[in-house]
Amino acid sequence: MDPSPQSPPTKKRKMATSTSTSTAAPAVVEEHQFPLPPILTHPSAAPPTLITQGAEGRLYKTTFFSPDIPCALKYRPPKPYRHPVLDARLTKARLAFEAKVLERCRREGVPVPAVYAQNAAAGWIAVEWIEGAPVRVKINEWLGQRPKNEEEERSAAEQDQGPLIELMKRIGAAIAGLHRTGVVHGDLTTSNMMLRPHTKKTTTTTTSEQTNGVSKEEENAKLLEGDVVIIDFGLANQSQSDEDRATDLYVLERAFASTHPRAENLFEHLLESYKQSFKKGASVLHKLEDVRMRGRKRSMIG
Amino acid sequence: MALETLQIEHVPSDHHVYAALFRDVQNVDFLQAQLIGKNPEFEYAFIDASVIISRTHLFAAIFRALNTLTEGTLQTPNVHSDIVIGLSPTNNISESYRRYGLTPSKTRDVLVIKVVYPKLSSENSAITSEQPTPESIWQHLTTHIQGTPVPLTNEEFAKSTDWAKVRKYYKLNGVPGVERIDKADEEGRRKEMEGLVVSGIALRGL
Amino acid sequence: MPDAKGRRIALGCEGSANKLGIGIIAHDPITGEALVLSNVRDTFVSPPGTGFLPKDTARHHRAYFVRVAKKALALSGVSISEIDCICYTKGPGMGGPLTSVAVGARTLALLWGKELVGVNHCVGHIEMGRAITGASNPVVLYVSGGNTQVIAYAEQRYRIFGETLDIAVGNCLDRFARTLEISNDPAPGYNIEQLAKQGGRVLLDLPYAVKGMDCSFSGILGRADDLAAQMKAGEPGPDGEPFTPADLCFSLQETVFAMLVEITERAMAHVGSNQVLIVGGVGCNERLQEMMGAMAAERGGSVYATDERFCIDNGIMIAHAGLLAYETGFRTPLDESTCTQRFRTDEVFVKWRD
Repeated sequence: MDPSPQSPPTKKRKMATSTSTSTAAPAVVEEHQFPLPPILTHPSAAPPTLITQGAEGRLYKTTFFSPDIPCALKYRPPKPYRHPVLDARLTKARLAFEAKVLERCRREGVPVPAVYAQNAAAGWIAVEWIEGAPVRVKINEWLGQRPKNEEEERSAAEQDQGPLIELMKRIGAAIAGLHRTGVVHGDLTTSNMMLRPHTKKTTTTTTSEQTNGVSKEEENAKLLEGDVVIIDFGLANQSQSDEDRATDLYVLERAFASTHPRAENLFEHLLESYKQSFKKGASVLHKLEDVRMRGRKRSMIG
Repeated sequence: MALETLQIEHVPSDHHVYAALFRDVQNVDFLQAQLIGKNPEFEYAFIDASVIISRTHLFAAIFRALNTLTEGTLQTPNVHSDIVIGLSPTNNISESYRRYGLTPSKTRDVLVIKVVYPKLSSENSAITSEQPTPESIWQHLTTHIQGTPVPLTNEEFAKSTDWAKVRKYYKLNGVPGVERIDKADEEGRRKEMEGLVVSGIALRGL
Repeated sequence: MPDAKGRRIALGCEGSANKLGIGIIAHDPITGEALVLSNVRDTFVSPPGTGFLPKDTARHHRAYFVRVAKKALALSGVSISEIDCICYTKGPGMGGPLTSVAVGARTLALLWGKELVGVNHCVGHIEMGRAITGASNPVVLYVSGGNTQVIAYAEQRYRIFGETLDIAVGNCLDRFARTLEISNDPAPGYNIEQLAKQGGRVLLDLPYAVKGMDCSFSGILGRADDLAAQMKAGEPGPDGEPFTPADLCFSLQETVFAMLVEITERAMAHVGSNQVLIVGGVGCNERLQEMMGAMAAERGGSVYATDERFCIDNGIMIAHAGLLAYETGFRTPLDESTCTQRFRTDEVFVKWRD
């Protein structure tokens, strides 16, 4: 038998906190005040506001160049857990890549934020502020208005998921556009896509139609309107390979399934639209099968 | 007084940026000679206004130069020459001076930028031990520049923008991101090009 | 049936890899408390430079099953009649060892007239981790020789947000231990951890492979193996100085753990959680716990980890997760009491959570 460390604990020991070996006390949720990155300590018309603490960094909303130009400034602070050499290498490389990829997409006509300024060594990049809300929020808002019961949903599913299916298709086309330019995103989730409301010009026609009495259904349909703008290219890479493109889709497929389990069955519409918007779409989807198999059928021992 | 104090976001509060635009400048060769002769009284960024498309475009170059100044990584002898090359999306410094700086007999409209900031004692130039004021700068400029001052507005910039040059310098010809926009939507195309110009400035050296 | 104190009692059998574990747990339906009555383990250790093969491991489990079961029963102080159900690992894992233990569990069930509950190994780790640490709804990093997953609970399932795209992180470490011919006793990962503490003069350059919330390790292992070959050939490191096995272990740990912490942080940001629970054998590693703690602290949260009794594969986690399912009415009929090498964490319907 194994020596003491693996032998059973004292008989009938309680498994409450007394045996807990957690290395920290239970979480205390409190407001966390982060020091601003040096670049944001200089004056601006309105104080910067922290929007999110993402995994790679903090996103601030601020203004750039002039008080009337809203901007998203992403700051990647040094990670205290990461070896400083590795940390500096990663931060600089990722920021530089992010900037290059954004510019490339922009030139190719893929809707992404424009780059205003960057300092890769100092860990920040300032880009155009995209109006609207993350696709994740919009889909959940939409799903929140659907019947919750699985049975009900199945029956209701066919008839009124039209707008969501339309959105899935627009997402598929947006990713196709990205891949066509030779860029893979590396972190596709519905949090990393914005649904930007149409500019005034394009909405004038729709608003005139809605002057007399907007039904609830129409209102719901409007919820998912807008241009899909892919953001957060912190893990992006330049690649033309089917494998990398398929992995991009696989990452999104899994993120989508875990974030919106109730809409998982609609993912096929995204893939179909991807295939139709991209010459190499079919071969990428073929590769996606392989990537899925590798993921799902991987032997998982111990 | 047509000297404007530029309020640029996220620039240190003790750094002051002044700018003025002069039309039909008659003594471009004289101004250029002062730069070449490193006349300490002419610590300015002189820019050929025909390559500027908007205030945002100008601010992007100034911001970049000020950022390199505060980081201590200037690429040229001073912040003023860094503003001129700051306009460039490429690393070729002498080409940048030629393209964005003054060219006697060709440059007509001159954009002048003056940055005033606390210098370390070792940097102190012989003449300006005291910081110049907007009044003193304006007086100096109007004394030496033979041209007509106009306000620094997008409208004024638009009057003198040489789009052929801008498209060439910033590689905007045949770019899908611009071409996909309806030709009739001039404002849309101009905005898109401004975005690409600013990105080009931001990305230089990566 | 409940024992004299009104408690439900389960015996759990685990043997999906090279650890044979049998444990007995009691759930108090009044307080909701889980009590470990016994937790016995016996590990099959292969010689340095080798891994454990399914055939040898299965033989080990068969040979020790009765001894370990008897010891677990004796230490628990419960009588056979007090036991409600026999839980066993249905998968995922290595076929041979899984089958050996399932046969043992079936035998106990038939011999004692108890019902069987097949348990997902990964869910066992998660539920045990939650019970031990008190973490209510954490993002879970499950890291072992066979698994690398970032998991969060949503709508009755443990959903996999991120995972390895090729080999498991534990497998990467174990195989590198073989490259360096480090002892497998008590565990290759443990010995790498000890060796890494002596390294750190240089951080050797290894690939860093994170894609969204997924990551991959085979490229890193390949590069580490190359560096080990360079070292053995007497070639210097990037700074012109020679480097040691300790430097290699240090660099490997720093790189792969940074990747794990990063994908965990990304999942936490994605689901809006600030608790993280580390389970699985690699979760014992103190450097990983330390790095995870630094990340969690920065997010205003904390890390929960268990020690080797619960992190490393054990029978008690199977007993605990099995009993949770049993209490909701779940049973595994004898003719369905099979094993499967592939059994996704998200296939389990988690009826016992809200």
